[in-house]
Amino acid sequence: MIRDELARLIQDGYNALGELEFAESSHGYFLYHSADRNLLNETRVYHSIEDARKIAKYDSAGAYRPLKGAPNLPRGWRIELTNVDELKKALDSFYPGALGSWLAYQNGKARPICLRQTLNRQTGMYRVTRKLTDEQAQNLVQEACRSDGRCLRTILWGIEDSRPPDFLPSSKFDPTVDQTGQKRAALPFLCLEACNLLVAAARNTMKKSSR
Amino acid sequence: MPNKRKSSLVLVGHGSTLNPDSSAPTFQHADEIVRRGLFAEVYCSFWKEEPSLREVLHMVEGDDIYVVPNFISEGYFTETVIPRELELVGPITYRSGKIIKYCEPVGNDPRMVDLLLHRAREAAANVPLEKTSLLIVGHGTSLNEKSAEAAESQARAIRGKGLYAEVLQAYMEEAPFVADWRKNTSQPNVVVVPFFIADGLHSYQDIPVLLGIESAPTLAASQQEVFRRNPYLLDGRALYYASAIGTEPLMADAILDTIERFDRKHLSTQPHDQG
Repeated sequence: MIRDELARLIQDGYNALGELEFAESSHGYFLYHSADRNLLNETRVYHSIEDARKIAKYDSAGAYRPLKGAPNLPRGWRIELTNVDELKKALDSFYPGALGSWLAYQNGKARPICLRQTLNRQTGMYRVTRKLTDEQAQNLVQEACRSDGRCLRTILWGIEDSRPPDFLPSSKFDPTVDQTGQKRAALPFLCLEACNLLVAAARNTMKKSSR
Repeated sequence: MPNKRKSSLVLVGHGSTLNPDSSAPTFQHADEIVRRGLFAEVYCSFWKEEPSLREVLHMVEGDDIYVVPNFISEGYFTETVIPRELELVGPITYRSGKIIKYCEPVGNDPRMVDLLLHRAREAAANVPLEKTSLLIVGHGTSLNEKSAEAAESQARAIRGKGLYAEVLQAYMEEAPFVADWRKNTSQPNVVVVPFFIADGLHSYQDIPVLLGIESAPTLAASQQEVFRRNPYLLDGRALYYASAIGTEPLMADAILDTIERFDRKHLSTQPHDQG
């Protein structure tokens, strides 16, 4: 089970995911923002998965965070959890699907889907994104997905099938690189396929280019 | 509800990149179903939020998976987007040793009539029904005609009860339009109930503008200090605006009934090992 895999990974020394860090304690596990690493005594303590979901919903200025991978989680909290199952669920609240997708990828049960394939199956208001040129796509992904300020996921898909996203910095498609730049023992946080936010951004690109 | 403790449940919501309240009803009902301990695991997934429909099945660990769209009607999302994104071939999909059971949208549940009537009474508790028009507002879309049919069918069912002087349907994106409510309703009181899951972008921000009770889209429901005050006096009429039905606690039961209906319709002839 995913929770057992997580327990094994923690035993192996992994202690981070995205902006989060976690550790075992005498009562179970605790989870916090990595920027609060040296300020844990000053953080507000929470205990539930619902708290994790609420914290992940807004940034420090109270603005809604539609993209969970964005490096703008609020600080000043820590969540104490009694067992690894709760830790797994809390991580899923902050970064939905991150653990499951990485394990599925590792086990050969999931593979990256190239951007063309994602865009070519769009219908309705997003059908227009099928016309995105390679150059437009590369510019868009370089800007909308960059780890510095936009999204901490490691991109494994390219524009076309079987071609890596070599228009990005090599660190952005290397799962062993901590995208926060802290060189922690971070669990890979993979992007196996363009998200709806990127598809929506591609639609905006098409709308602008048709004006 | 039969024992589903060997099964997994995925609730699918629309979600929003703009409105933080859009996903709330889906999480609310998932939490309630988790609290009842009926399934081995319960996940939410969204078209416009995470986990996405593309990613959620990587989270699911069981082999017997129910997918229930927390959508108000059959239509573009339930017939095109969700099956495409989850790579479903029909009500039952076998893949990689798993069975994925794709249920009807929760809005097909017969409880919806009562939920709409309940919301209407909540919004306008003391109006004389014989002098009141009830307007059921759906999305309506040129992408799929079933979206409009759902609101029409609810309006017809409520009309059949003979409670209100008139019961009409109206839509955001097709005729009869919400914005024409003054022309299309005849009574001094008008109660408007959005046939939507969430108090999200459409029901809380767009429809009030179309009705003329707000001049511009307001903040999300959860970001407002004061909820709307009924009634709104407009052109000598009293208009009452209700919130969406999706946060009604009974929606969790509607989800469970939707699963039972799926089993009766699709699995009655198949042996299954649910104890």
